[in-house]
Amino acid sequence: MPSLKVIQLRQALAEKFPGMRMRLEAKPARESGPEPDLFQNCLVKGALNELSAGRESTGSATMMRALIAHAAARNQIMAAVDGFDSLDVSALEPAELARLLWIRCRDAETALKAADLLLRDGNLPLIFLDLKLNPEAQLRKIPATTWYRFQRLVETTSAICLAITPRPMIPAARARFVLKTSFALRDLERDAPELVDAASWEADALGQRNANLHSA
Amino acid sequence: MFAVVQLPDFFLQAALRPEPELRGQAVALVDARLAKPVVVEPTAAARRQGVEAGMTPSQAAARCPGLAVRNRNAAQELCAAEILLQTAFAFSPNIESTAPGVCTLDLTGLPLQTEAAARAWAAKLLGALARFNLDARAGFGPNPGLAWLAARAAAPALWLADPKKFIFDMPVSALRPPMEILQALDLWGVQTIGNFAALGKDQIAARLGQEAVQLLETIETRRPLKLVSPPVEFAERMDFEREIETTEALLFVLNRFIGQLALRLDAVYLVVAELHLRLALASGDHYERVFKIPSPTNNLQILFRMLQTHLETLRADSPVTALELRAEPGKAGRHQFGLFEAALRDPNQFAETLARLSVLCGPDNAGSPQLSASLRPDSFRMAAPEFSSGKTPLPVAPRENSIRQGLQLRRFRPPLAAHVEFRGNQPALIHSQRCRGPVVATQGPFASSGDWWEPGRSWAREEWDVQTEAGLYRVFRSPEGCFVEGVYD
Repeated sequence: MPSLKVIQLRQALAEKFPGMRMRLEAKPARESGPEPDLFQNCLVKGALNELSAGRESTGSATMMRALIAHAAARNQIMAAVDGFDSLDVSALEPAELARLLWIRCRDAETALKAADLLLRDGNLPLIFLDLKLNPEAQLRKIPATTWYRFQRLVETTSAICLAITPRPMIPAARARFVLKTSFALRDLERDAPELVDAASWEADALGQRNANLHSA
Repeated sequence: MFAVVQLPDFFLQAALRPEPELRGQAVALVDARLAKPVVVEPTAAARRQGVEAGMTPSQAAARCPGLAVRNRNAAQELCAAEILLQTAFAFSPNIESTAPGVCTLDLTGLPLQTEAAARAWAAKLLGALARFNLDARAGFGPNPGLAWLAARAAAPALWLADPKKFIFDMPVSALRPPMEILQALDLWGVQTIGNFAALGKDQIAARLGQEAVQLLETIETRRPLKLVSPPVEFAERMDFEREIETTEALLFVLNRFIGQLALRLDAVYLVVAELHLRLALASGDHYERVFKIPSPTNNLQILFRMLQTHLETLRADSPVTALELRAEPGKAGRHQFGLFEAALRDPNQFAETLARLSVLCGPDNAGSPQLSASLRPDSFRMAAPEFSSGKTPLPVAPRENSIRQGLQLRRFRPPLAAHVEFRGNQPALIHSQRCRGPVVATQGPFASSGDWWEPGRSWAREEWDVQTEAGLYRVFRSPEGCFVEGVYD
């Protein structure tokens, strides 16, 4: 429970920054359940993170959507490098769209070049690299050194780079999450926070250790 | 008190300003617009080897084998004149454009009562011009005419403590009289301005006419200046003697132009807010492009990279014959990052990255998506993101009519053609590039249509959400056939 001074400070800030107040007011709807930003507490800043979703309909896009909403609610700007031009932007809110730089690529090679430019730029605190739908033939051509280079680039910033892949394939990832859920037709009736809560995932040993290091 | 700033060999200096390395070498400036092109101004090194004004280029080259020849460049002369006025205006608000390469300044109100103060002031002014590769001289006198005479004799600054003594022994030719007056005075044995003035205005008027009197009055009277304001335009131009076909050559010139423009703006405490590039092509066409600087700056590297990124991808039908780079001035941005603000740390770097991404992925494939006011599936357009400081949009309320969907769809663009077998009005078997097999469960059909009021744009479809062993998909049927629109993920 926050102290009285913290509450007073929050109230004063809410009056001074009306935009913030809007977000604070929107918050109570989520008070009953856990935070939707499932990975946000474990994603490592200044490092390469991997979200691996092997099968179809495991919820990787829904997770990415939740992270976009989470970042937009905190007024963060972000970039989504879309390796197979598959992002459904019609599901995003205007506030999320206004904070999103969407790079539409048709192959993994172009997506990696785009991600390289964004990582070198260093302006954006959150970068998604979505390779989930890219054909295996394209992914096999990515040399491991590419990922190490990305790690070297991102570690000079405080950005989070989250790569979404069809299988664990990033040796340089500091945190790796493997989605285990398999959603069914009845799940289409559930709203996004419910689905995020229902998603099961596991972090591999390296990822968990790094997450602990980060939180420590 | 007045000051005159003069750029000796103005046309030559203007032509050599983009090539400062040639100033110490033997160069002859040729006026190619004359019926018979001749050397108009040689450099000091060329003069030492016998090159003189009035020679033909071949005569000059015969005397000086290593002679470099440059043509008079009207665009560069205009730039040099602008620089002279803009620089002078930073030192005195009352300036006159007296002649090409000559600027007269009224020093009234300035604390320049002593020679030492005037020399220090002149050193700053001449130093400012030297940054633009322009060598200047400054002369101080009680009237504009005397100040101009002092400037011609200055090395590099001259303060006339005793004007009468200064002009007494000066040759009459310094007043630049017409040839017939000069010849008459020569016949009479009048060689100096002192002797000329001793004739008396009445005698001069009676014998040589009013024109000769006016010559004397230019150094005796204090005429009012024709005040001008320096142009607010900051531009660098160059007409190429040879057509430019490669980006490297263009970038070399542009790099120097940017340096000069940044210096000019720096002198008046402004920064570059926009760059306007104009290329004249040999075909007669022009190519123009405006570069808006997200965070106005005079940083040479940032400005140059912005131009370089664009020019590396530019393909023109014909070579470049002339180049103009114009800078729109602005004030340097001051921004303090807020506690809850997620502004870009380096907007200029981001603009460059965005330009590179546009080149890499295509101009319509990098930006912020904006939804169209239509129910047509996947209807949006790409817009330039506005993440610059102070422009980050405030949180926007959710769309009231948005379809709150839990499981996110990954779209196949374009939708994948599929062979779908129906049982009743429900899909029973799907065969497409990404999904195939029997359908385990379905929802639908969900019918939608729109744009029926616009000929050729109407659309209608029936959608089903289907589950197969592999996953969840959205399938639709339209007049064109059956398609898999995406996978729920």
